[in-house]
Amino acid sequence: MHRTRPLDHLILILGAVFLAAPVLVAFMTSTHTAAEIHTGGLQILPGSNGPATYAEVLTRQGGFTGEVTGLRMLMNSLILGLGFAVGKIVFSMLAAYALVYFRFRFATVLFWVIFTTLLLPLEVRIVPSFQVMSDLGLINTYPGLIVPLLASATGTFYFRQFFRSVPDELLEAARIDGAGPVKFFWDILVPLSRTMIAAMFIIMFVYGWNQYLWPMLMTTDERMFTLMRGIKSILQVWVGSQIPDYNQAFALAVLAMLPPVAVVVIFQRWFIKGLTESDK
Amino acid sequence: MLRNATVSAIALIATLATAQAQAATEITWWHGMGGKNQEVINEISKRFNESQQACALTPVSRGTYEEALASGIAAFRSGEQPNILQVFDAGAATIMNAPGATIPAEDLITKAGYSFDRDAFVNGVRYFYADANGKFVGMPFNSSAPIMYTNTEAFEKAGVAPPKTWEEFETIAPKLKAAGYIPLVGSQLTWMFFENFFSRNNVQMASNTNGYDSVEGTTINATDPNLLMMWTKLKEWHDAGLFGFYGAGWSDNQAPFEQGKVAMWIGSSGSFGGLQSTATMPFSADFLPYWSSIEGAGTNSFIGGAALFAMAGHDEAQNKCTADFFQFLTSPEIQVFYHKATGYVPITTAAYELAKSEGYYDEKPVAEVGIKQLTLPGGEWSKGYRLGFYPQIRSIEEREFNRIFSGETSVEDAFETIKSEGDALLARFAKTAG
Amino acid sequence: MADLTESPPLRAARVRRSRAPAAAPAPAKRVQFDAPVLPWLFLAPQLIVVAVFFYWPSVQAVTSSFYIEDPFGFGATFVGLSNYTDALGSAEYHRVARFTAAFTAIVTALALAIGLLLAVKADAVIRGAATYKTLLIAVYAIAPPVSGLIGMMFFDMHIGPFVTFARWLGWDMQVGLDYVDTATAMIAVSVWKQVPYNFIFFLSGLQAVPVSVREAAMIDCASGWRRFRTVTLPLLAPTAFFLLIINVTYALFDTFGIIDVMLKDKPANNPVTLVYKVYNDGFRGNDIGGSSAQSVILMVVVFALTILQFRFLEKRIHYG
Repeated sequence: MHRTRPLDHLILILGAVFLAAPVLVAFMTSTHTAAEIHTGGLQILPGSNGPATYAEVLTRQGGFTGEVTGLRMLMNSLILGLGFAVGKIVFSMLAAYALVYFRFRFATVLFWVIFTTLLLPLEVRIVPSFQVMSDLGLINTYPGLIVPLLASATGTFYFRQFFRSVPDELLEAARIDGAGPVKFFWDILVPLSRTMIAAMFIIMFVYGWNQYLWPMLMTTDERMFTLMRGIKSILQVWVGSQIPDYNQAFALAVLAMLPPVAVVVIFQRWFIKGLTESDK
Repeated sequence: MLRNATVSAIALIATLATAQAQAATEITWWHGMGGKNQEVINEISKRFNESQQACALTPVSRGTYEEALASGIAAFRSGEQPNILQVFDAGAATIMNAPGATIPAEDLITKAGYSFDRDAFVNGVRYFYADANGKFVGMPFNSSAPIMYTNTEAFEKAGVAPPKTWEEFETIAPKLKAAGYIPLVGSQLTWMFFENFFSRNNVQMASNTNGYDSVEGTTINATDPNLLMMWTKLKEWHDAGLFGFYGAGWSDNQAPFEQGKVAMWIGSSGSFGGLQSTATMPFSADFLPYWSSIEGAGTNSFIGGAALFAMAGHDEAQNKCTADFFQFLTSPEIQVFYHKATGYVPITTAAYELAKSEGYYDEKPVAEVGIKQLTLPGGEWSKGYRLGFYPQIRSIEEREFNRIFSGETSVEDAFETIKSEGDALLARFAKTAG
Repeated sequence: MADLTESPPLRAARVRRSRAPAAAPAPAKRVQFDAPVLPWLFLAPQLIVVAVFFYWPSVQAVTSSFYIEDPFGFGATFVGLSNYTDALGSAEYHRVARFTAAFTAIVTALALAIGLLLAVKADAVIRGAATYKTLLIAVYAIAPPVSGLIGMMFFDMHIGPFVTFARWLGWDMQVGLDYVDTATAMIAVSVWKQVPYNFIFFLSGLQAVPVSVREAAMIDCASGWRRFRTVTLPLLAPTAFFLLIINVTYALFDTFGIIDVMLKDKPANNPVTLVYKVYNDGFRGNDIGGSSAQSVILMVVVFALTILQFRFLEKRIHYG
């Protein structure tokens, strides 16, 4: 159907190099010692310190209680990433469905009420936000970590855009067949949105996975620490007094990439499935 | 059998330990340190918990200094504040201007039944976190001093000795340049050539006794003729190739020294630990130079770093534990341990003497330079400064310094701007008290 | 019923509509459900979360903008609009605002263009498609502090590989010292971080284009560019509009972490964005009133900008 041209591949290869080379560099750099990285900068060739660094990062029992292992942080990050991605997709699909497919008063107003949340970043309202969480008794809990981050319009906006581009005939046909709103949503709209859900899941999982400031503020219990906090903490040595353990930060970052990449690889099939199933 | 016995013995000890932990009063310490320094904080806390049974201290890393202060503020407003909060030097005015937020360290300690001896602390540390009457509000914790690192090879090659004063620098700098080196580079010029210009040369930095007396009507002395002289010289040196400037980033200015291109680098007394593994040449250190032309110059420098504040709103038992911990922290043994492990200076004379008697400075002479500089005779203006919104004022200084060296502005205009914008911020800060 | 998507007449209808010329957009849908309670139930989770975790704290942030207050909550002086006039009257603020506008425009344009180009190409190739996709998406997964660190080291004024390369070309690049050089580095890193995001959504938009439409397009338009312009682009318009808004907010709000790392938390004389200034004054300097006023100004401007985009751009978008 498509004639592939060398130019297409050239552009893709250039793009992949532009975007992915830093990943390789991060890995290569992680195999050097902190002092080498400090004086030599980014590394393109492998160093000799790799196994030691990775062993250290994976097995060290950090923190005051000794409970902050790599595994523990990984688990917390996973909970945050998955909880956020799933919550976001469910909430925003439902909201977008209501906004697009229903005739009711205040629909436009409500769209803007939700949409405005894009406009004021968390950093600005962080002190009042903490007070709210404290009043609700959600400090040091997983819901406290996840739910406030859901207060953003990205997903709702995205699904609104998609639902609006779904042909009206679908709904007409469904109504002729006597399908109600819930059945239409579940049997038709959700399967149809598969590609969109996959894209949203990848983006939101990584977004939740990479959260730093909010989890840092919201959790005072070491057992709730996430990988991102581990990475920041390593880098956060006052430059000048000591060299940060760059190698460990890079190693942790490379490890932290694996779950998101797994998510990408898993959902990639959905990208293709969404295409082949609905429009063979 | 033996194994079983061991297991049950361990179980028994564990039970006892848990029972003790439950009985102990729990206190928390929020700090803004990561990496190695965080591990040292954990170690100190463990030692404190092992040294007694009544209190159980839990340290929690709260991100960077700024993040730690912000989370302390957010928590205080919700009544969830820790017992101890670490606050960095430039943020000290913020917390000290909110007297209801903290219990002065000195009151806390005397109330717990200890005696408090202000004179036990070294000169440069004694007043920095104290109020106008000299009462300790914050407990000095991690402290450092700006000192001058010297590239031994460069001085040998040029056949000169490291300068004590800027006048001496002017005579030797051309020789260092002729020997192929950039004579002088400094990191964080706000700390080195602004704040500590005032302390080392004993010049007044701000009205209201450097801001200690009141927040009302405090103005910054940024157009002091001596300060302008220093900066006019710096600019001349820069244009003559005697002073290298690589922007406001700390490491950008440290790197050329590590690479052996620079003869003298002004850094932190704590930098030597890192330099040992990154410098490509032998190095030594000396005091931050001063101007012999300024009368009374050569006094101790201000400390950098952070202090611990006892947050208000906790019960007596917890406050007693906080006091116990402050006592523990200032003990010479813990101070020396901390000094060796982190590169920060010991804050009490007793700790300094202990480190000396242990022969630590024979082994690492560079480690002594910072504490020696802080124990120099104090002057009227070398006690400290208390300026609100100082992080923003520092940003203004950094911006203007960049503009001076890029030739966008003159030294006079730059410091005029620092003064007018700085004074406006100080006036704003005075309004925060309500 | 479940097989509705597979029924041939429906698919034909869909294709016909998709190829129809753009008409004026209907309010939302030509056909809608009429149910008084159900939409509220569907909206409830999102609305509750938004009300509790966005509006409640935001109202407090807005209130703060009329005060100069002690961050611990002990004192406050009501100053009316003076936080606003202070910010708007300062020359520094104007300088930052001008840079923010330019920065946002450049980052948005570059990130969208590169993301779209790569998505179109990745959609076109068959061999190696999965590898390309994984590689192109993977970058998005790098932890932000580390991507900032990579950016900072890449442009380091002493040992950065790009700086060495630039010197070889005769460009004495000094990030952290030279305004334009620093801006260049900041834009490059910000674009690099955002391209995968755009790539993912453009790709998902492209893959949702029915094969029948593509086949028809192949027959109708021989030239690839014309095909892209007349068929692909209009079909991508809803996604592109979403991404435009998201990219503008990204460039305005989410880049401050990158900027902070690149500047080694010392802004000095370097370019910074308005949000960075809010962060510096509020989070770092504890000037709650002043930073709240700045964020309200920012919010009003972005809101106005967004409404403009909706008014003028969404009209041109043909949904479904």
